[in-house]
Amino acid sequence: MLEIKNLQVSINNKSILKGLNLSIKPGELHAIMGPNGSGKSTLANVLSGKGGYKISGKLNFEGKDLKEITIEERAKKGIFLAFQYPLEIPGVNTNIFLKTSLNSIRKARGEKEMDTLSFLKLLKEKSSELGIDENFLSRQLNVGFSGGEKKKNEILQMKILDPNFSILDETDSGLDIDALKVIANGVNSSRNKKKSFLVITHYQRLLNYIKPDFVHVLSDGKIVKSGCSELAEELEKTGYKKTN
Amino acid sequence: MHNFEINSSEIDKIEKISEKEKNFRIKNLEFFNTNGFPSKKLEDWKFSDFRDIVYKNFDQLDTKNTLADIKKINLLKDFDHNYILLVNGNLQSSNFDYEDKSKIRINSYKKDNINYETSQNPLVCLNNALAKEGYSLEIEKNYRLKKVVIIYNFFTKDLKNKILNKKNKITIKENSEIHIIDYTVNESKFKFINNICENVILEKNSKFKHIFIQDNRSNGYFYKFSKNKLLSNSNYTSFIFSSGLKFNKLDIECDLEGKNSECNVQSALFLNTNDHQEIKTRINHLAENCKSYQKVKSVLSSDSKGVYQGKIYVKNIAQKTNAYQLSQALLLSSDSEFDSKPELEIYADNVKCSHGSTSGSLDEDSLYYLMTRGLNRKESTKLLIKGFLDDVVQIIKSASIKKFIQDKLAKQIYGH
Repeated sequence: MLEIKNLQVSINNKSILKGLNLSIKPGELHAIMGPNGSGKSTLANVLSGKGGYKISGKLNFEGKDLKEITIEERAKKGIFLAFQYPLEIPGVNTNIFLKTSLNSIRKARGEKEMDTLSFLKLLKEKSSELGIDENFLSRQLNVGFSGGEKKKNEILQMKILDPNFSILDETDSGLDIDALKVIANGVNSSRNKKKSFLVITHYQRLLNYIKPDFVHVLSDGKIVKSGCSELAEELEKTGYKKTN
Repeated sequence: MHNFEINSSEIDKIEKISEKEKNFRIKNLEFFNTNGFPSKKLEDWKFSDFRDIVYKNFDQLDTKNTLADIKKINLLKDFDHNYILLVNGNLQSSNFDYEDKSKIRINSYKKDNINYETSQNPLVCLNNALAKEGYSLEIEKNYRLKKVVIIYNFFTKDLKNKILNKKNKITIKENSEIHIIDYTVNESKFKFINNICENVILEKNSKFKHIFIQDNRSNGYFYKFSKNKLLSNSNYTSFIFSSGLKFNKLDIECDLEGKNSECNVQSALFLNTNDHQEIKTRINHLAENCKSYQKVKSVLSSDSKGVYQGKIYVKNIAQKTNAYQLSQALLLSSDSEFDSKPELEIYADNVKCSHGSTSGSLDEDSLYYLMTRGLNRKESTKLLIKGFLDDVVQIIKSASIKKFIQDKLAKQIYGH
């Protein structure tokens, strides 16, 4: 599904990713861990198409070169990024925004646009799964939401848009244990043999609830160690220093 | 060489006027002829050089009244309303079927539409010299209108190189309330100037809510001087949603003369290419315990210009004044321009006054966020613009009027 080879990324002449290799197959959940400044968020941004980076190397998604594809086309192809810091968008109703977003993606997939009634049904179902109060969906997008509410809203968007490949950029940071469980459940219930995930995190805590197939350690722009879920536990005990 | 000097014989043509009125008109005309159209040399016009705009767009100007008999226009069907129909500024007809008609008096221009105040503003002087049409609306004591009043400002096809000078007067007597929507229907494809002076008197405990909507592309050059006198416990609210005029300057002056009176001015403007729009306010806090609130939000497309000049004046006796002023502008292009000049002049010591002004371009991170959800850049931009303007619209209480305005704004933003 995702094939990254020798990915080099720099911004303002500062090199951030220095030859990263990663391959993710359908149905797999990969976790990327690493210290601050190792390039985790840059990887998430580059995958979702954020501008301003100088990129070289191979970056293929389902056989297509991602470098050639705009941000919204990536979304339409099934790439989703749950933001570390979701933006507040004043004056834009959460509900209406989600419907617009879903329909533009459905249209790209060649599916029929969803009418308001079916959409509201879907929204109700998914938001109750995540324990999100419906009133909160008629509010302005992320405006005045608590940290936890914003993160839940990201996962709700993921559930509604139903992407093939989801990137979770430190979705666990700043969450209490109950919110963490809700979010983990949200991810786990979406897992199947077609859908892949890249979970970026600082801590092993989230991985107690979401079992990864592979764990990678990112340090100074490269993956320095890969393993199965036990690697995360090991890291929790020893810290990142030993992996360098 | 342009010569827009106006012959005093125009005043002689006005019938049945007193010596006092005639002298007032002649004095005003002399002032206009000496000073000409206001240029940027005048502080109040420094960001909108009206003289330059007139010289660029007009070779001649015709001051004659344009009478037209429009029997019927298409009324808005979005909500029930009373209406007043003005054709080229002249009162044509009115309908107050929803109301107790004994409480409402509507007439065409009357002598007392003139307030005999001297002015240093050349356009007001021109209006003082020549205006002899307009309307006068009076609401009797203790009456709250049941439905909103739409004033249809209809401009006919044949307006060409005209300058219309009209005077309107609205009096709301004690404990009464009226909501007015000023709505423009412009059929003229030609350039013309509309120069309006409006006097509003809010007596004790009265309420006046005014919404200005203009949304068609138009070759109109509009100036309106609106003078509002607020007596104790009265409440004035003005919403401005205008777009598409080549030039539009709204000059709003509010005198908070009575204790506990309150004035609000809020606007959400979407300026198209080449539009020039100015909102100028002067809020005079002249009595204790009054409140004023101003919020001006503007979105500027390429080659458009927006201006906000807002002055708050607090007289020494106006203790416990609470005055707030905010201007926010969103510039969509490097060749759009927004000028903001907030001013505070305070002579009382126990007051709360604050002001703020920001202008900038669209937030790239917000655009990125929306685009990762499958919206293209254009759609994301429009969504952000709509969101930026929406908080002003949300204050409107009536759901049907709110929807009407949201639809108008969406039409401007989405262009269909």
